Amino acid sequence: MAAVKAIKSKDKHIQQLAAIVGGGRSILYQKEDLLAYDCDGFTIHKHLPKAVVFPKDTQEVAALVKYCHEHDLPFLARGAGTGLSGGAIPLNEEVIISMVRMKRLLSVDMENRRAVVEPGFVNLKLTNSISDKGYYYAPDPSSQYCCTIGGNVAENAGGAHCLKYGVTTNHILGLEVVMPNGDIIEIGKDGVADEPGYDLLGLITGSEGTLGIVTKIVVRILKNPEAKQTVLAYFDKVSDGSQAVSDIISSGIVPAALEMMDKTAIEGVEAAAFPVGHPKDIDAVLLIEVDGISAGIDEQIDEILKVCRNRNVREVKVAQDEAERGRWWANRKTGFGAMGAISPDYLVQDGVIPRSKLPVVLDRINQISNESGLRIANIFHAGDGNLHPLVLFDARVPGEIEKALEAGSACLKVCADVGGTITGEHGVGIEKREEMRFVFTEEEIAAQTDVREVFNPKNLLNAGKLFPSPGRCVEVKKEMKASVTS
Amino acid sequence: MVTAELLTELKAVLPEVKITTEENQVTLFPHTEEQIAEIVKYCQEQKKTICIIGGGTKSKVGTSNERVDINLSLSEYTGIVEHTVGDMTVTVKAGTRYEELQEYLAQHKQKVALDPSWPRDATIGGVIAANDSGPKRLGYGTARDSVIGLRTVYPNGKVIRSGGRVVKNVAGYDMNKLFIGSMGTLGVLSEITLKLRPLQKCESLILLSFSNGNLDEVRRFAVELLDSMMEPVALELLNPAMAEKLVEQNAYTLAISLEDVETSVTYQEEFIQKLRPKNAELTILRKDQAASFWQRLYTAAPSGCDPDTSNENNAGTVALMKIGVVNLSVLEIARECQLLSDQYSVKAEAHGGLGTGICQVILHGASEDVAQSISRLRVFAAELGGYGIVQYLPESLNGKVDVWGERPSYFRLLEGIKAKMDPSRIMNPKRFIGGI
Ligand SMILES: Cc1cc2nc3c(=O)[nH]c(=O)nc-3n(C[C@H](O)[C@H](O)[C@H](O)COP(=O)(O)OP(=O)(O)OC[C@H]3O[C@@H](n4cnc5c(N)ncnc54)[C@H](O)[C@@H]3O)c2cc1C
Repeated sequence: MAAVKAIKSKDKHIQQLAAIVGGGRSILYQKEDLLAYDCDGFTIHKHLPKAVVFPKDTQEVAALVKYCHEHDLPFLARGAGTGLSGGAIPLNEEVIISMVRMKRLLSVDMENRRAVVEPGFVNLKLTNSISDKGYYYAPDPSSQYCCTIGGNVAENAGGAHCLKYGVTTNHILGLEVVMPNGDIIEIGKDGVADEPGYDLLGLITGSEGTLGIVTKIVVRILKNPEAKQTVLAYFDKVSDGSQAVSDIISSGIVPAALEMMDKTAIEGVEAAAFPVGHPKDIDAVLLIEVDGISAGIDEQIDEILKVCRNRNVREVKVAQDEAERGRWWANRKTGFGAMGAISPDYLVQDGVIPRSKLPVVLDRINQISNESGLRIANIFHAGDGNLHPLVLFDARVPGEIEKALEAGSACLKVCADVGGTITGEHGVGIEKREEMRFVFTEEEIAAQTDVREVFNPKNLLNAGKLFPSPGRCVEVKKEMKASVTS
Repeated sequence: MVTAELLTELKAVLPEVKITTEENQVTLFPHTEEQIAEIVKYCQEQKKTICIIGGGTKSKVGTSNERVDINLSLSEYTGIVEHTVGDMTVTVKAGTRYEELQEYLAQHKQKVALDPSWPRDATIGGVIAANDSGPKRLGYGTARDSVIGLRTVYPNGKVIRSGGRVVKNVAGYDMNKLFIGSMGTLGVLSEITLKLRPLQKCESLILLSFSNGNLDEVRRFAVELLDSMMEPVALELLNPAMAEKLVEQNAYTLAISLEDVETSVTYQEEFIQKLRPKNAELTILRKDQAASFWQRLYTAAPSGCDPDTSNENNAGTVALMKIGVVNLSVLEIARECQLLSDQYSVKAEAHGGLGTGICQVILHGASEDVAQSISRLRVFAAELGGYGIVQYLPESLNGKVDVWGERPSYFRLLEGIKAKMDPSRIMNPKRFIGGI
């Protein structure tokens, strides 16, 4: 066994925390080591943590939390750090409890369709571990090759196939959670459904790491569909594309996925690592997938082709084999990063609208782009109305970050105004705290912070996230700007 | 306060609201959300306790001996608020009868994908507040998968919205989840927004009876079907007593429901026919016959508003349990239910989902025996890692049987939520687990 690495800090807390996790190899506390943890996938905002600790099991997490609780040290959990709203950013010089060492697949029970994982287990690894038996884990965020299931639970992550199969919360059967005072609780033990009592499983999922630290997760696994067919459809007009989306949904088909990209997005994905030859001069491409019993698939594909033709599609094609399907999906799933090929920086937004409002909202976003002088690409889950406007900007140009933030916020306002919401899967985090007021009244926000108080009364766990500070609207905006420009 | 005084005061404070008194119990019938809010506000100020009533089908669920001051009936607070066909979402007032809602949506070839008990009598609010579900939850999930938004009148009389009208939403905490299954202990659900599914183009029900009584054979078949790529929306095991009641076949029977386009349904029927174990008898029902089977199943359990079941008679008494276990342990529950009849001379009619782990058990017998069976089943379920709760209890056992079973280890949190939201405990007092 390696010798215990000495702690070079005089800070008593650092020494104690190190002792809990078995010494200096499982803790970072020097500035140069902490820099990598000053933000997550939301890179506009940066803060250094006090330390980063790497517990190996639930007991260590509980001991760390208990220590922080007793000594009033702010703390938060971190998975892979791919969150896009700043949930894992240590705003208050938190002790970061990293879950990456707790990454085991604990058990798989095909007969009862469930698996038990530790929170640091990477999403895609689960599907990869069970695919030989014909099973998979449904929630598929585009970041699935690296994000953790613990992070997915915290954010209630979605993905392209959530249209038919639901988001993370629809697939979580049980959780082990370390409460903010260090108590360990188990909800939905063994994955038994409908446990009597209020649905804490549903409440904790999507609470962005503010109600407890998840240390074990029982998930539902599904059998692969017997057949899958994937269609690409190119439209000369965005409005025709959006109309086709509505028509497909109202024809009684529930596609597994129904994705859309606009012209700017197409320019990005075609310039990046996984081009598939989308024509450059079209306004919208739809990627549509149906799955299920083989005998019923052709009928659905015919219907979809018919709908697209009725909406003046320029070209529509069905993937000929798994390889082609894979290429189309790689092109789509790497879409955010692809913006790097056409812009130095980009900001991802995440509004949701009633599907029928798609044409109007895309128009309004276009207007916002014109007014701000920034290009906005749209890559989104059209089937469930979850938009991802990507605001392209250059952080080196003075004032552009602020402009990008404003344009992003304006897009969310549009979504809220048509009866939608400000986030469909990326969470509120730091980024959209103020925008919570677009959709909730003060009283409705208080109803939520009341719940937080029951779980997290000292508010040491991931404080300052998710909710606007009451009455401090202006100050917070200033604070945001200050930390942006620093 | 005596009823007469209360009545006079209520009439003065809430002149617009319809009020009735029966057997010394005051019932209010609001027509609008504002009226609900006024009633709740009044009760909060006067510290009057409220019992919320939808269709009354669950009036025997989680009851205590607690007498409440005011019944709040939502039976006249009904109707569709908004149905956006293209968005496949509907917003509906809580008192709307479940079946009426479905009939309305069917005109647009859509449905709420839930199959609760007593659909004709139950209100959508009651279904959501009690988190009621049926065998088709295997294919479609439960209330927590369908509800996307709520308007709730909080115990302080304020209307609080949670969720919204879009199908995907992670803004703030998922507060909808708190109210689903809360048995009205946190507030009055007033408007409910649900996501819809297209009405299935074709539907079929396969009944597979195992007259040799061999549960191992049932298990082998179920595991093979679940491991195939077929997509049954229900895979429900009926024990012989339940099969006798529903289809007059005294044998373990699987009810397999298929819903999809016709070619797919036919294909799956053929697949299952090939998979059929030699000694199992297979029947395929379609359309009205299938629908009538489900109707019988949904109304098999005793209902709080059904005079036939609420009257105890010479034949003894009847109780209803919901049991949750790991999916395939439903087989063990079914076996245990058969044993009960030998030991306690009760009749236990049971069905449970082999892909969901949720069972419904109807117990008939002398009240002592029924009580013993309840505790026996509860212990048995706990040994399997599950739980058992009582959903209908006869008068004779009221207060003598623990309805909810043991408190979970995290009860402090449940109690904390209740204390925070309803500190004066006016909403459905003691109706929920641990006396919440
Ligand atoms: C290129 C890219 C594409 C993306 N695509 C999608 C997409 O399609 N759909 C989607 O939904 N998201 C997407 N995301 C966002 C992100 O990947 C998800 O939010 C993911 O769930 C975060 O997981 P993580 O492990 O990285 O968590 P982190 O970023 O480390 O943490 C996120 C939040 O969860 C909390 N947390 C982490 N672990 C725990 C735990 N064990 N217990 C309690 N709280 C915890 C943290 O405190 C933080 O608040 C994308 C991100 C990127 C960079």
